[in-house]
Amino acid sequence: MSKSLLIKLGLLVLAFILIPALLMGFDKGYYYQIATIAAIFMLLAASLHLVTGVAGLLHLGHAALYGVGAYVAAILGANHGIGFTLGLPLAGLSAAAIAFLVALPTMRLMSIYFAVATLGIGQMLYLVFLNWVGLTNGPNGVMLFSGINLFGLEIDSDLGIYYVVAGVVAVSILVLNRLSHSYYGNALRSLREDDQCASAMGINVTVMKIQAFVISAFFAGIAGALWAYTTGYISPNDFHFSQSILILTMVVVGGLGSLPGVLIGALLLILLPEALRSVGDIRNIIVGVLMFSAILFLPKGLFGEVSALNFARRVLGQGWAAQKGEKGIGWK
Amino acid sequence: MKLTRRTALLLAAATALTPVAAFAQDSVKLGYQLPLTGNTAQYGQDFKDAAEIALTKFNASGALPVPVEIIYEDSRSDAKEGVTIARKFVDDKEIVGVLGDFTSTVSMAAAQVYKKAGMVQLSQTASHPDFAKISKWQFRNITTQDQEGAVNAQWMMDKGIKKVAVIAEQTDWGQSVAKGFVEPFEAAGGEVVYTEFFNRGLADFRSIITKLEDQAPDAVYTGFFYEDGAQFLKQMAQLDAAIPVYSTSAAYNDQLIELAGDAAEGLLLTATFLPTRMDANVQEFVTEWDKTHDHAPGQFPAQAYDAVNIMLAAVVKAYPDLTRDSLRDAVAATTDFPGVTGNTTFDENGEPLKELTKASVVGGMFVEVE
Repeated sequence: MSKSLLIKLGLLVLAFILIPALLMGFDKGYYYQIATIAAIFMLLAASLHLVTGVAGLLHLGHAALYGVGAYVAAILGANHGIGFTLGLPLAGLSAAAIAFLVALPTMRLMSIYFAVATLGIGQMLYLVFLNWVGLTNGPNGVMLFSGINLFGLEIDSDLGIYYVVAGVVAVSILVLNRLSHSYYGNALRSLREDDQCASAMGINVTVMKIQAFVISAFFAGIAGALWAYTTGYISPNDFHFSQSILILTMVVVGGLGSLPGVLIGALLLILLPEALRSVGDIRNIIVGVLMFSAILFLPKGLFGEVSALNFARRVLGQGWAAQKGEKGIGWK
Repeated sequence: MKLTRRTALLLAAATALTPVAAFAQDSVKLGYQLPLTGNTAQYGQDFKDAAEIALTKFNASGALPVPVEIIYEDSRSDAKEGVTIARKFVDDKEIVGVLGDFTSTVSMAAAQVYKKAGMVQLSQTASHPDFAKISKWQFRNITTQDQEGAVNAQWMMDKGIKKVAVIAEQTDWGQSVAKGFVEPFEAAGGEVVYTEFFNRGLADFRSIITKLEDQAPDAVYTGFFYEDGAQFLKQMAQLDAAIPVYSTSAAYNDQLIELAGDAAEGLLLTATFLPTRMDANVQEFVTEWDKTHDHAPGQFPAQAYDAVNIMLAAVVKAYPDLTRDSLRDAVAATTDFPGVTGNTTFDENGEPLKELTKASVVGGMFVEVE
């Protein structure tokens, strides 16, 4: 068995056997909850990673697209009898559709102007959640009583819910992994480094940016649906600007452009505040100090892009490995 | 933590074999989830202080042979954390009941957990119209806006006020303020000439005030907390808008008068708690509170103080057969509980029925009016 296959298998065993075994061992709803939230935020961070890390576009409105997914799933589930099986993809597609609409006019904006535009989009969507009372129930939020029903199978045990969330998140991350570690990902990285040069090489910069933005929104929408179904109640506050910043922090602390890094970043920023619960009111200060030190001493992130790419090439991308008598050519 | 699968399975086996410990009788544990850090920490800290006053008094009274302990967990008013805390409380077999959370968003997200697990949840402030209806496990100790709105509507009718403008914050609570008032007011023959919702923290109310003046109402009914209330009242005074302002118990806070100064004079509101009221319970609470604070307690800490006391009284009633179920039934059976926010009885939905006091700001103080 190749090393690459071993590591992939190892990750799967970790996510689908070891962690569930641990959770069952402790048999505490509290740990299930943390595992579920951590998985959802890993997906959010991984999806933002595609836009901000790989394509280099500073995106400050990710939580709002996450919100679109959550609202679509919750409203469809609560008012229209469309359950999880169909609601989940619809949530992703709706978020992607909205992202596409807002991407059209904004994608030609550069650097900080793009960041401000996404900030505006995030606020606009948040205000829609808050003020369009007829559709979103406004500040009253939406209660979703139906649990997860996957192809007619009612899933209500903690373990079952964990498996559903972990399964959806794992598949999504797999797709994001393929996208960011491939020719496509390389093309996105070239936009980040020098978009004029990339354009001169024949890459359609605007189209690529729109694609990355829309794909990222799709997965944010999926994460939103998972949040709506696992919590049972959503309200605009869950998708406030501060959540966008939280996700962005995960990406930056973990390592811009590094998929394993942002997953570690997401885990850290969800687990650390919980682990520090016992120290009391100063826990947020400790988290802040740790984040600050992480950026100060590891400016490239906990698992920086260069080492992450080396890791990914070595163990995940067989296409990169040099064939006998040939030079390695990169990912296919 | 480094655990192999085998140790994990061993652990699982060990957990399964350990008999579930019956409620240890060395203390009774309650959970309290509230924001102790973050944007709303000032409210959570006040709740904690009020709860500590109630708890210290209770444990000193010897009403139970064992002490009661409250475990506080910081939710930062974030639904993620609120749900996680709820799961944590539910896991702890010794915890028999929970107080909190502060905001409706977090209380309602956590309520889904308590509903599923069967744990009584008594919030001192969750004002969402559907909160108490979530399940039989949810209770609250804050008057509903249906009650406050009806009293205010009647109050205006008595004064011959027929045309009213309604201004409320754009939150679940603000929505219920408007609805709770408009329905009884229109039913009684009144007319609402203008309705506007504003986002919390709005700095400039002048365009709203100008628009409402155009409609020439006899009075304004408002749903705001003291921060927004002070801004609104100051700007009303700056624009010389001489229209009487009615409000709810949420505006009842000494800091409103501090921030708005003379502009607060003449504000009319309904309240359930007045620290100046000459009632033994109220004075005992205010005296204890004043030992550690340099301002009088507002409506919210008073509600928290009562919520804790209601829960403690229910613990006494259910003891020694204290389980989550028996405590829930004891809380539900609360009738005419004498607290600092008036007498409390829960209706079948877990909504508190309270008497409301009419008050006004006169000479920089809230005073009761007839």
